[in-house]
Order: sequence, then structure tokens, then C-alpha cells
Amino acid sequence: MAKKILVVDDSESIRMLVSTILENAGFEVERAVDGSDALHVLDSNSFHLIITDLNMPIMDGISLIEKVRVTPHHNRVPIIMLTTESHTFFKDHARTAGATGWVVKPFVADKLLAVINKVLR
Amino acid sequence: MSDKLTDTFLAEANELIIDIERCLLEVGRGSDDRENISAIFRAMHTLKGASGMFGYELVQRLTHNLENIYQDIRDGNRFLDSVISELTFKTLDQLRLLLGGPSNTSEPAGYHELLEIVKSVSGDQSALSVDHHYNSPSPAEQCTYYIQLTPHLNIIRNGTNPLYLVDDLLALGSGIARPFFNELPELHQLDAENCYIGFEVILATDKAEDEIQAVFLFAEGNCEVHIARIANENLIKEFTNETNPFITAETGKVIGFESVRKSMDKKLASRVTETANKALKAKGGNIRVGSEQLDELMNLVSELVTTQARLSLFANISESNELSGISENIEKITRRLRDNAFTMSLVPFDSIKVRFQRLVGELSKELNKSVEFATEGMETKIDKSIVEKLIDPILHILRNCIDHGIETSEVRTKNGKSSQGKVSLKAFYSGSNVVIEISDDGAGIDLERIRDKAISRGLISKDAQLTDLELTDLIFLAGLSTADNITDVSGRGVGMDVVRRNIADIRGEVEVATIEGQGTRFIIKLPLTLSILDGLLVKIGATEFILPLSAVVKCYEVETTQLEETFNHWITLDGQRTPFFYLRKIFSITQAKPLYSQLINVPYNGSLVALAVDQIVGEYQAVLKPLGNLYLEQDEFSGATILGDGTVALVLDPTRMIKNLSASETTNQIHN
Repeated sequence: MAKKILVVDDSESIRMLVSTILENAGFEVERAVDGSDALHVLDSNSFHLIITDLNMPIMDGISLIEKVRVTPHHNRVPIIMLTTESHTFFKDHARTAGATGWVVKPFVADKLLAVINKVLR
Repeated sequence: MSDKLTDTFLAEANELIIDIERCLLEVGRGSDDRENISAIFRAMHTLKGASGMFGYELVQRLTHNLENIYQDIRDGNRFLDSVISELTFKTLDQLRLLLGGPSNTSEPAGYHELLEIVKSVSGDQSALSVDHHYNSPSPAEQCTYYIQLTPHLNIIRNGTNPLYLVDDLLALGSGIARPFFNELPELHQLDAENCYIGFEVILATDKAEDEIQAVFLFAEGNCEVHIARIANENLIKEFTNETNPFITAETGKVIGFESVRKSMDKKLASRVTETANKALKAKGGNIRVGSEQLDELMNLVSELVTTQARLSLFANISESNELSGISENIEKITRRLRDNAFTMSLVPFDSIKVRFQRLVGELSKELNKSVEFATEGMETKIDKSIVEKLIDPILHILRNCIDHGIETSEVRTKNGKSSQGKVSLKAFYSGSNVVIEISDDGAGIDLERIRDKAISRGLISKDAQLTDLELTDLIFLAGLSTADNITDVSGRGVGMDVVRRNIADIRGEVEVATIEGQGTRFIIKLPLTLSILDGLLVKIGATEFILPLSAVVKCYEVETTQLEETFNHWITLDGQRTPFFYLRKIFSITQAKPLYSQLINVPYNGSLVALAVDQIVGEYQAVLKPLGNLYLEQDEFSGATILGDGTVALVLDPTRMIKNLSASETTNQIHN
């Protein structure tokens, strides 16, 4: 069965781009426009992996991770941050919140898939 | 990259640019600057990220530098002055130009100059820029580190492969890695899924220690890491077979930093420095607490408030000054503790805003109406349990606004309105209440139609004289839907009566005001919290009641006979003719009357109404307990509380009680 991934990004093009890459690699993809939206999707779905942007309106990626980590059904799902931020300060913050991995934008498809496979194995 | 994706990106990029322009203009007009500046920053950030992905490098570079300026502004390190806003507009024009062409083009004329200007403007303040601040200086020279990685037994089960960590380490520079065994058990006890191997790495790199630590960022908690700088130069290239510290020991035991140091050539060792491993500092001042824990805290605080009330009572009776002192002190602390605990369970509206935004977006598309959705005061906080119960009523009202309120673009233009309709959601504090206003600039409610409908449904009599306010209020009655043709959107499922009931369930009130042709406004008034109430303890006969203190305007003392002898239930208070309700009579309490009674003025529908009771006992913090099912119909009581001496007092909801009492009179009028 195809593994399910939730892609959270406020940029439609990034959302589509990541989805396309993932779908071509055989994953099943759901999308959400920000953290709060993602939580609603998570209300009724479960995923093998969440990929989220950091900087989003309404609810940012780190708040999303914090929320997910205290949600009983999802607290163990791996979460990868996909963001333009590359500094340790943010990584540190994300790690404290419970992120599993970090990919910096712009990224190449192979690198993203490599990280995903690393996390999903 | 497929064309479709690129098209999406271009469309999005243009939207982002328009957003930035709009926000920039609004800042110019002096609206909420903080919100707009964050929005600008976020839009630039998104644009930067996406353009990088889609190969628009020039756009990315320009946006990146512009973003830096706005980051400073957002963080309060500089002001958005006319120079910057002009530069921004100019840059946006350039961005449009770049996005109009293919990706990967060479720099158009003027690009370089503009980039330099933007860079210099952002660079002016670089000392204050956050990026700059976070960047720890990386040593120009290579350093050599000794890193000892001891994974926990379950690291692989937790999804981290320690080999990747070693790979990542070695990718930072040149290095030597050597495994060691970590408490290897007897063969029969060996668990194939456990990790018994650790690694020692000697790494020469020009990267800062921070970056080495960053490798273990996501593995923290799954392994022990020890990092020590052994020299401020690259020792690796000096390692020969004799000096290679790992060559000497092949036992699979951990060598350790000391041995590594010792085993090195004296010549080298003299240059070796030892740096303490800096612990990864946890940043941010927030801690997470489970919601059950918070509920438990609230429960305990509630119990404490009750017990404290009992103590106060006892202290008063005992007439011991010392005890009164202590009791007053505890009361003060309890109050502060209570307020503190409350704020913890409050959440901002922001958390549910997106639901509304999506609804408006989807609905306007579905109904082919152009609708702008504006929000205000979304940082207003309200009790978590209230927020959850608010979503459905607000969604329903919004649906009504868009479906019935907002007209189609053609109709709007014909009526001289802007073609785009506007729906706004506003939240703010008002005393101990939170007020939510949902308004549209649509057609308003057709009061004549409401009237006809209500008459045809037998809800009011044909010749009933109702004010506009009362007429509008009829939409909250069950069985009155003005939607003649039930659309897919509203007019199905729940009606406005359910909205009112749902809001009443959380001790809220909903009202509606409408002006034909100009729009409709729904006003929802809610308590800040549901569980504790600042009340006024009153007595009628031997029975005690609680009134919410927020509803009490003023108290008067009058002779009881004055209340008994009046024939129309009006009394003059402070020179004002005021209607009053004689609660003793209404509750059929027949115990001995006092000589003097108390009148309590409460606000009702913009005027004052008095409630007559026997005696005012004093202020009281009531812990609200819900009433049982038997009292479901008695909605003039919002709950009950246990008093200090263990007796139960009902908590009155004055507004609803007056409404019920006057409604029974009005209905009589209508039906007679």
C-alpha cells in the first residue's frame, strides 16, 4: 500500500511541486495550506509522514509540530520541515518542538526523496 | 518542471506581489501596521522560497534582500519609511518584469543597480538584522574535533540510523571514524533491533561547532554525544600510522578523548586544546502542558475557590481578627490564582479563523459571488471550551451572510455598491464578555417578508405591533426560514433557532440588527469563561440566589410595602421610572417579608430593569455547576453553586429571566 504523506505549505506552487514529486515516487499525498488547516485534515486522517513549511500564516510549522506531538493518534508521526530557513536557531527550535528532519528550500527532488526514505524506513 | 506547475507558480507569485502592494498601501493608510508588515514579510518569504524552486534565481535574490529589510521592520529594528516603501514598489515592478519572462534569464537592465540599492538599504542595519545575529562566526581556519557518539539501544527503532549521523559528520570535512562496542550482551541476549555500536570520529573541518552539533539535532534523546575541540588546526593531515590514535586500539572498547590525546605525538599534543562540550541550549520560554492537566488545575482551583468561600464565612462568624486576616489573604491569593489559571485555558480566535476563511472562499466560489472576508481582533482570547462550540454557529451565520446577504456583483453594481461584497468578523472584549460581530454589506433582512412569514406560520398575530428590533429577532424562532427556495448552502439543516440555542448553551446571547439595502450585523456576546462567576449573593426569604456581578448596575433599598402596593410594577429610582420584577412573588416565596427590600438594577435591551430581593448578602465567587436535566426548561437559571455552608444556590441569568418574563407578557398581548 502506498504510504500517505501530508504536505503543508502556504505556497500553492510549492505544495503542487512537492505533491508531484511525491506522487511520482509512488506516495499518496494530501495537502494543507497551513498548520491550522493541517490539524483539521489530521482530525480525520492519519499519515506516515508530514512535510511542513515553517513560515505560514495563521499557524506556523513549529506550532503545528507542537500540536501534533500532543495529539494522541499522531504524536509519533515523523515530521520533516521544508523551509528556506537554514539556521541552527530555527532547526533547534523545530527539534525541541519535535521535528524529525529538515530540508532546506530550494531543494532537489532526489535529496527530498532521500530524506523521506531515510525517515520512512 | 512541467508547464502547469510553472503556471501555478507564476499565478501565485503575481498574487503575492499584489498582496504585498495591498498591505503596503494599507500601512500607508495607517491601518494595523504590525499585521500588515508580518503579512508583507510572509508573502516575500513565500515568494523567495517558491521562486528559488522554480528557477527564477534573479527573483529569489532580489526578494531575499528585500525580505531582510522587512524582517528588521517586523522585529521593530527599523521603520517602514517612505524610502523603503518606494524602493519596495520599485522592486515589485522589477519582480513583475522578471516573472513575465522565462526563468534563468540574464540580468535585465537596471537589475544590478536595484539589487545593490536594496542590499545597501538592508545592509545599513545589518548589525541589527536577525540573520546576522544568529550567525555565529565560523572559524576561518580548520579545527580538529573529537566526537564520541554513543547511541541508545533503541535508536534504530526510533527511526534514526547512527551510520547516517557518521556520514553527515564526515561530510563536514575530512575525518576518521571508528566504531566501538557499547555494552555488548551475551549472544543469546542479543536483540537484532538494538544498536550496540558507538562511533568515535576525529573530524577536521572549517565549520563551527554549532554545525557539528546540528548534525545530532534530530537524534537528540536517542544518543549521547560528546564533542571536544582538540586543536585549532587540521590534525588529520599530520596523522601517520604511528600518530593515528585509532590504530593503537582495536579491542572494540571506547578509546575516549583522553587516550586520543595521549596517543598523539607530543609535538601535536602540545598544540591540543580542550574545549568543554557546550550543551545544546533549549530555546524559547514555553512549556507544553496536556489539556487534561489544565482541566485538572481548573478543577482544583474551583475547589479551592469553594473552600476559600467557606473559610471566609467561618472567619466572619468566628469574629477572630487573626483568622479574618488570614482568610482575606487567602482570598486575595485564590483570586489571583484563579485569574492566572483562567488565562491558561484561553485560546485566541486565530486558532479557528482559518475555518471561516475557507468557508467564505469556498462559498463565494460556489455561489459565484465576489466576497472579501475581513477579520479584526483575532488575537482576542476566549475559553477553549467556548471556542469549540462557537465554530458551528459562526459558520452558519457566515453562510447566511453570503448566501442571503451578499448580492451578486451585477445587483450590487446596479445598486451603486462596490461589486465585491464584504463580510467581516470582529472579536473584542467588553467588560467580562467577549463580543463577536459578524457583519455583511449585503441586502439586509426584508422585515416585511419576515412579518408575513411569521403571520402565516402563526408565530405572531396579524395585528401585532412589533418594533423593527422585535421583528428582526423573529428570525431566531424555530420554523421561520425566509429562504423561499432552499439553496444548497443555507436553508437546510440547522436554522437560526439552533444558532441561538447553541450560543445560549455557552451562556451567550445573539442579536441581529439589519438595515435594508445596507447590510446585516450579528452580535454574539459571550462570557470569558464558563466555570467561575463573580456574583452577588442575594436572599429571598431563606433562599439564596446568585446574580452575575457583571450584570449589576446599582442597588437601592426601598420599603417592601412600596413594592407590594404598586399596581403596574414601575418604581422611581434616581428620578427614573424603572420597571421591576418582584422576585419574591415570581418564585412564590411566602416566608416572612422584611421591612425593607433591595432593588438591583440590571441592564436589559439598552435600558434598566430592577429585580427586587429581600436582602443583599455580598459579593461571591461562584463555582458554576450545571443544573440537571430536570431544569432544562428553566433557562433563567444558568447553573447552581455550592455555598460555603454547603447549601445550594441557583445562579440567575437576569437578561434571560427578564426576557422570559416579559416574553410571557408579550405573548399574552399578541395572542389576546
